[in-house]
Amino acid sequence: MTRARPEDIETPLDLAEFEEESRKSAFDEAPGGGFLPIETNWFDRLFISVVIWVAMSLFWLRFLEPAGLPLMISNAISIALAVYIIWKG
Amino acid sequence: MKRHATWLYLLFWIVVSFLTMFPIYWLFVISVKPAVELFSTPEVLLSSVYWQNYIDVMNDSTLRGYMVNSLIISTGNAALVTVLGFLACYALTRFELGGKESIFFWTITNRMAPPAVFLLPLFLLFTQVYKFGDFTLLDSKIGMILVYCTFNLPFAIWTLRPTVDGIPKELDEAAFVDGASAWTVITEIILPLARPGLAVTLILTWVFAWNEYLLAATLTNFNARTLTTGLSEYVTTTGTEWGVMATISVFTLIPALIIFSMVQRHIVAGLTFGAVKG
Amino acid sequence: MQSNRLGWILLAPTLVILFFFGVVPFFYVLWLSFHQWNPFAADPNVIFNGADNFRALVFDNGFLSSLGVTIAFVFFAVLSELVIGYALAQAFLKDFPGKAIFRTIHTLPLIMAPIIVGSIWKLMTTPSIGIIPSLLRSWFGYDLNIGTSAVAAFTVTVVMDIWHWTPLVTLTLIAALVSLPSDPFEQAQIDGANKRQIFWHITLPMIMPAVLATVFIRLMDALRTVDEVLMLTGGGPGSATRYLGVHIFKEVFPRTNYGYGSAISIIVLYLTIVACWLLYVSLIAPRNTKG
Repeated sequence: MTRARPEDIETPLDLAEFEEESRKSAFDEAPGGGFLPIETNWFDRLFISVVIWVAMSLFWLRFLEPAGLPLMISNAISIALAVYIIWKG
Repeated sequence: MKRHATWLYLLFWIVVSFLTMFPIYWLFVISVKPAVELFSTPEVLLSSVYWQNYIDVMNDSTLRGYMVNSLIISTGNAALVTVLGFLACYALTRFELGGKESIFFWTITNRMAPPAVFLLPLFLLFTQVYKFGDFTLLDSKIGMILVYCTFNLPFAIWTLRPTVDGIPKELDEAAFVDGASAWTVITEIILPLARPGLAVTLILTWVFAWNEYLLAATLTNFNARTLTTGLSEYVTTTGTEWGVMATISVFTLIPALIIFSMVQRHIVAGLTFGAVKG
Repeated sequence: MQSNRLGWILLAPTLVILFFFGVVPFFYVLWLSFHQWNPFAADPNVIFNGADNFRALVFDNGFLSSLGVTIAFVFFAVLSELVIGYALAQAFLKDFPGKAIFRTIHTLPLIMAPIIVGSIWKLMTTPSIGIIPSLLRSWFGYDLNIGTSAVAAFTVTVVMDIWHWTPLVTLTLIAALVSLPSDPFEQAQIDGANKRQIFWHITLPMIMPAVLATVFIRLMDALRTVDEVLMLTGGGPGSATRYLGVHIFKEVFPRTNYGYGSAISIIVLYLTIVACWLLYVSLIAPRNTKG
């Protein structure tokens, strides 16, 4: 036996493929011409928007709010950005 | 030249195996030494074997209770998730359910979430919300069996799905044409064919439940305390009794080792089945 | 085909259990994170306090240092496991007797309970009884003390994680390497490529999906490392090994400040999801990019 046969080896590598398939078939959409570097559906874009919103809020709370800028500005920017991402991404 | 390289690789793997095995051996060494010998210069080889730690642990009724709890909880949980996962996989592979791929993806994400995040909400829900009269899920075996489903059920579904999917659908269709009920089809056609996959799932989920610590440490006090929490409990209260700590560790380790040595080939086969068919 | 109702009935128990123990806790902790709630405080009621918990969180040095050491731990552990795992996988592909036995031994740590791993390494490295400090002292004159030295404690947790999880990396990489076609390698050798060129230009790109998937699994697990570290160092000395999970278990949970604890839990979940999502995107990006 020179090399281990593939079927000898336990591996859970297909996880990512499962996810990809499931996500794609869940909300299938024609590939659009958005600005994001990857192909996304509306759910992905909503998710990206939420991620950006949280990151920006935390950053704002730490660095900009003590300087006197209320959090509402950050929220307004995030919502504007979210709308832009979901529509055009 | 060729011959030379072979021996080099063999030597390399002997060293790697030694590094892998030595910590486990060391655990055993500590567990069979009397306390007074521990603090002299550490010795790798055993001159004599001292079983008193094992006798002490076996005679400790609290630890025996924890051991029984661990057995009940992991066996109950493994059986539950294997059955539910099997039924769920049958549903996911045989029916055209709306959004079933999203459901599948969502069940898998349950396994990925860090359990530490769910300590607080689960503790609060167990004490405040999930109660029926005087009965709360906190510190109950049934509560632990259910809460372990959050990580074991997704695993069961994920490993069983390719197995169930691989059973030809013509078999159950033919049975349905012959007038068999869904129950008959599942228990008499699918179940026997899925048996190897089910066994592997049962074993692995059992080990995962047996090994779990964090949730058990948070959600149990005494009645449903498991062996892993007993270990940490024992260490914090009597930190210097290394021998007993090592012995409890050995007791926790043994079932997993037995299972590993008995069915290692099947575990490999079962997990690859998932990877190949996926 | 049977009616779909049967399908839903079979799926129902799974969905119900995951709903009550997965979805409800998530939304509950999310809701609580915007509230002030300490049952033992002057006002034991649940009061909405907007982003106050998060406002406190971003200035909480305990949390931020925990985040820092977690990132360092995950980085060093996963990177070392990848390098060592790859070397072991390559060494395994060569011809030598007794391969099956060596693989079995190598797989052994994977089934061990994390808390037992912690216990074993505690017995190995505690200065008074452990073999490692004793050997280091007699060979190099170095005093390893995980109870007082932050660097030593951190290093030992990383080594422990490497011991526990490198086998997983090795096994997945062996699987990836044996399934590679041999043609590109033969062609490269004919073209006179050296070993390093072959690795960077042929092997690595071909096993990249497997590498990323392995990193994905390891990253998720390393981020939630709690049991081993709790057992080995208890998060100490100081906060040197108080990784996020340990931080929640030891510092947040025992205090009854549930609103603030929820906020920390939510942020930890957020960071985990973002880390995994970024990796996931890089995993599928090559197959999924536009134009």
